[in-house]
Amino acid sequence: MKCIFRLISGELKRLINYKILPVSLATSVIWIIIFLLISENDAKYIAPLLIYVDVTMMEMIFIGASFHFEKQESTIKSMMVLPVSLGEILSAKVIAAMVLGFESAIITLAASFFIHGITFNYLMLAIFVIIAGITHGAIGFFLALISKDFTTMLGWMMAYMLPFALPTILFMFEIIDKKYDWMLMVSPSHSASELITSAVTGKYEAGKAIFACVYLIIVSIILLRYVIYPKFKDNSVRG
Amino acid sequence: MNYAFSIENLHFKYPTSKDDTIKGISFNVKEGEIFGLLGPSGAGKSTTQKILIKLLENYQGNIKYFGKDLKSMDKSFYEEIGVGFEMPVHFCKMTALENLKFFSGFYKQTINIQELMERVGLWEDRNIKVGEYSKGMKVRLNFVRSMLNNPRVLFLDEVTNGLDPKNARIIKDIISEFRAKGGTVFLSTHLMNDVEQLCDNIAFCVNGKLNEISTPRDLKLKYGKREVRIEYKENGATHSALFPLEAIGVNEEFQNILKNKEIETIHSGETSLEEIFITLTGVELK
Repeated sequence: MKCIFRLISGELKRLINYKILPVSLATSVIWIIIFLLISENDAKYIAPLLIYVDVTMMEMIFIGASFHFEKQESTIKSMMVLPVSLGEILSAKVIAAMVLGFESAIITLAASFFIHGITFNYLMLAIFVIIAGITHGAIGFFLALISKDFTTMLGWMMAYMLPFALPTILFMFEIIDKKYDWMLMVSPSHSASELITSAVTGKYEAGKAIFACVYLIIVSIILLRYVIYPKFKDNSVRG
Repeated sequence: MNYAFSIENLHFKYPTSKDDTIKGISFNVKEGEIFGLLGPSGAGKSTTQKILIKLLENYQGNIKYFGKDLKSMDKSFYEEIGVGFEMPVHFCKMTALENLKFFSGFYKQTINIQELMERVGLWEDRNIKVGEYSKGMKVRLNFVRSMLNNPRVLFLDEVTNGLDPKNARIIKDIISEFRAKGGTVFLSTHLMNDVEQLCDNIAFCVNGKLNEISTPRDLKLKYGKREVRIEYKENGATHSALFPLEAIGVNEEFQNILKNKEIETIHSGETSLEEIFITLTGVELK
């Protein structure tokens, strides 16, 4: 356990050193400005979207950036010969990326509370952010692993967003009809958005929430255990 | 005899390759010795080292680490070994000291970082970001990293590559002291100078097989010519003569040249490790 805390702390320090955390904070500042400029009703409407973007898209970018910095420096080789398991290294990376998502979500929530007095079901939101964060951390990690550099990864991210994230955003703006909601749930991004929106608006559909949680957890386990773990190991050994 | 590593009929094939990269090699690394694995690029040195440090696992054959099956070793194995990679493997935006403190935090026992950094001449630059280090400084930092946990077995890959002679000497001295204290070193290199000065036993790896395993001295005797070439001056011109090493002390012609001629050079037919490397691997050293 001591090792995993040390690994997470190392990851977070590097996120600061590599200016990834400051960039994440800067993004949050943009969200605060947006909140200052909009009405309470609009804030309630846009808050889930901003949290969704932080927890899914931004987290994927951050984990990819961190991975490719490390790849450039071959530091993962050095980590592999430490008395820690590859599972611990992997977990630390996903958790550190999730912390970034959390940090942005907290700032967004604080801004909506202090600027517009809007409150949410924070416990529920925290649980949903963790689930959505782990899944999207895993997806980001997978995209990073199949990319030779960060630019390629951004390309893969666009390729992911078109079928999986864009429909969700269109759905949020009611451009895609509500009748397609269940169909869209097969997209991890849509399931994540469903959870975040329900926690922010307080309107739960038990069936959807349970499905989204179970689905995202299954996707995370499959990705981390059966896809990312062996690929990360192979990638690290080859350097 | 205690063996740090005992390797028997080792085979390894990368999933994407058609043939075995390692084709049934067997050798022992004694505890407290410096074992050099030599060979051209792509011969299987790095793969062998990756197997021994448990980065590659799906091998066939037996590997014992101090009598225990290597496959049965858990992550505590890394408490006992130190690995110095050929390429620098540090976080460039962190200082050298931050890097070493980060890595040392994972070990139960660690060396005195200041002492070793002073020894290799990096202490004064400890607070400089590694990205600003020169190649030689990064190589020395790599070496310190490999020694962080005061390992029982040290794996070093081209450990002095890119170092000036003074710093290379310092690193080699530390390695010799490590061996003198009972440490075992597995050295992968193509720098014959390092091999001559450090290795107790060497193996030549070619196309995934080991061609020779012996001491540097025995290899030199085996591949050298038992002869003496003498160059001397006579009537203003340089002449050369070759004599068999056998009974050289009673060879009258040889004695006569020694006594009566102006000697310019005398060379034994002892070969260099570089020559042996070329003979055994068919690859010239650059």
